[in-house]
Amino acid sequence: MSKQSGRCRHLPLAAVTAVALALAASGCAKTEDDASSQSGADAQAQQQVAQSPAGGAGATCTLRQFGGQKFDLKSAVVGFSQSEKEANPFRIAETKSIKDEAAKLGITKLRVTNAQSQFSKQIADVQQLIAQGARLLVIAPLNSDGWEPVLRQAAAKKIPIITVDRKINARPCGDYLTFIGSDFYQQGRRAADQMIKALGGKGKVAILLGAPGNNVTTDRTNGFKDRIKEKAPGIQISFEQTAEFTREKGQQVTEQLVQSNPDIDGIYAENDEMALGAVTALKGAGKQPGDIKIVSIDGTRGAVRAIVDGWLQAVIESNPRFGPLAFSTAQKFLEGHPIPEKVVIQDREYTKENAEDSLGLAY
Amino acid sequence: MTDPTAITTDGATGRPAPSAGPSSPSADAGAAARRERLGHLLQHHGASLVLLGLAVFGTVAFDAFATGANLRAIVVSSSFLAIVALGMTFVIISGGIDLSVGSLFVLGGVLAAYGSRAGLLAALALPLAVCGAIGLLQGVLIGRLGMAPFIVTLAGLLGVRGLMLAVSDEGATTYLVEDRAFASLGQDGPFGVTWPVWITVALAAAGVVLLQRTGFGQNVYAVGGNEEAASLMGVPVVRTKILVYLLSGLLAGLAGALNAARLSSGVTILGIGLELDAIAAVVIGGTLLTGGVGGVTGTMAGVLLLGVIQNLINQVGNLTSAVQQVVSGAFLVLVVVAQRVLSRTQRLT
Repeated sequence: MSKQSGRCRHLPLAAVTAVALALAASGCAKTEDDASSQSGADAQAQQQVAQSPAGGAGATCTLRQFGGQKFDLKSAVVGFSQSEKEANPFRIAETKSIKDEAAKLGITKLRVTNAQSQFSKQIADVQQLIAQGARLLVIAPLNSDGWEPVLRQAAAKKIPIITVDRKINARPCGDYLTFIGSDFYQQGRRAADQMIKALGGKGKVAILLGAPGNNVTTDRTNGFKDRIKEKAPGIQISFEQTAEFTREKGQQVTEQLVQSNPDIDGIYAENDEMALGAVTALKGAGKQPGDIKIVSIDGTRGAVRAIVDGWLQAVIESNPRFGPLAFSTAQKFLEGHPIPEKVVIQDREYTKENAEDSLGLAY
Repeated sequence: MTDPTAITTDGATGRPAPSAGPSSPSADAGAAARRERLGHLLQHHGASLVLLGLAVFGTVAFDAFATGANLRAIVVSSSFLAIVALGMTFVIISGGIDLSVGSLFVLGGVLAAYGSRAGLLAALALPLAVCGAIGLLQGVLIGRLGMAPFIVTLAGLLGVRGLMLAVSDEGATTYLVEDRAFASLGQDGPFGVTWPVWITVALAAAGVVLLQRTGFGQNVYAVGGNEEAASLMGVPVVRTKILVYLLSGLLAGLAGALNAARLSSGVTILGIGLELDAIAAVVIGGTLLTGGVGGVTGTMAGVLLLGVIQNLINQVGNLTSAVQQVVSGAFLVLVVVAQRVLSRTQRLT
């Protein structure tokens, strides 16, 4: 998982062929440069995201392996279970992307539920979607464990489950079909690259960690630290504290940070909200844009605007637009083509060079 | 499930259930008595009636509502809240409140999954022992030391969740259920309905008997109705209070354990806000927050009502989360207003 683009080059020929079959478009061949050079293209094209397989040498899944039956997506009941309220840009964009793509494909019986951050409700929601006769389930899981009752029911009816943005701890191509999400570790590495560039390879960096106890935080932290260690030993990580992915905490922690470590050169925020909180704190402390280099992850509109304003150096996107990829994966699977057991969605990168032009792409 | 008059005699008005005897002097009085009886019925079964209405509406409006699979999904997911709300009913009738049940629920689940490594017995005994002990402690603080239930159980809400985080390594460790027999308790059952539902039905029936037909039940009503009067009449106020919080703790732990069996894991993010759902179900069911009035059947109808509202929202299937919250909030107001209006008509007659 760690070296997404690297691994593609080392895949054995057979696997590459299989991957090529599975992925009609783009895939591994697409590099980050392609993504950023596309910024002039129309928004519709930008919605199309590249994908690349990961996991064991391109393990794939077919309809026959899964044991399901072909059906017509357009006339089928399709269920989407959202985990959290559509109260932050990521969830808003995620739900909208699924709804829009379903509408575009002519899927009329899309049923959307929202668990409002209550896991018991999410389990009940999905069970009710199954009871409503859903033939395909797209789930944004609140939690990775505890899906046993849902997986049992779905397996009994051979309903394919596609999980987006977070994983379910179970067997792909069996308990569930496939997982579509970002490579959080890779996001951390790319953020590190931007930080190294901004600092010229040396300085003191603080990390605003995400909420403890989930893989997003761990992966984004490890990716960042690993990359700094191997590429820029001159950069020292002198401060690490959780700000729980929220703006208020980001501000609070940064206020303490500038007091206790006045010689800090850069801040790595593991999401945009914390970064924007940090900006507020720096403004309050009388700093000027660019005094302290901030790099963050998510790609919300507010953060990309902050790049334009000079407060942020770069933002690595965590792409929430799973709709096109989810339905195209399902379509391929239903047509009998092999699909990867893990699909990595491509994340953009916003820097000083492209931020102004790409503002419309941010969510 | 139970005799409605058993509740009404202890009811808000304190009047005995009206009887329209054959000796009614005039037809008018007979009609008035009938109206009054109807008023009683509506007040104490408001939740059941709204539930019935919604069920009829759901059946007419949505093809996928009145199907076996959907109704099973509703009762299965409601059963855990029902067990918690059962304990809450006793607490609220006694004039108290228990805010710790959501935290006890998640702790019970984590402990059950942890205990399942040592087999079925440990998986049930561990959460019941710990949650029961915490309930007992809260009961002693409230009953013997006369502390406010709101504060004691709020401390429980915070402290117990902290305890759960300590057991689960800050929520990072999810214990998986190792024991097949225990998992089966949450996932299998006769007639395609899982055991937690049958256990809920049995517990609710036992709760009705306990509340309506035993001395303990009488004491709970008496303590909630007027604590000083009850004390003067020789009702063991302290013991009654301790017992209701013990009962509530045990039931919350049991619900958590059964839920862990169903999910096959001790999920650590459960139970946030569950105490409010339980309180809502109890109040919708006709139990007064001030204590002394209420019953188990109303609570069960309240739980099902919450479940059906959620299900209908999912049947519509394209509401945003914001609209969903507004709709469920509006429904709750509607039910409570209906009950209020009905009880006033009854007083006027």
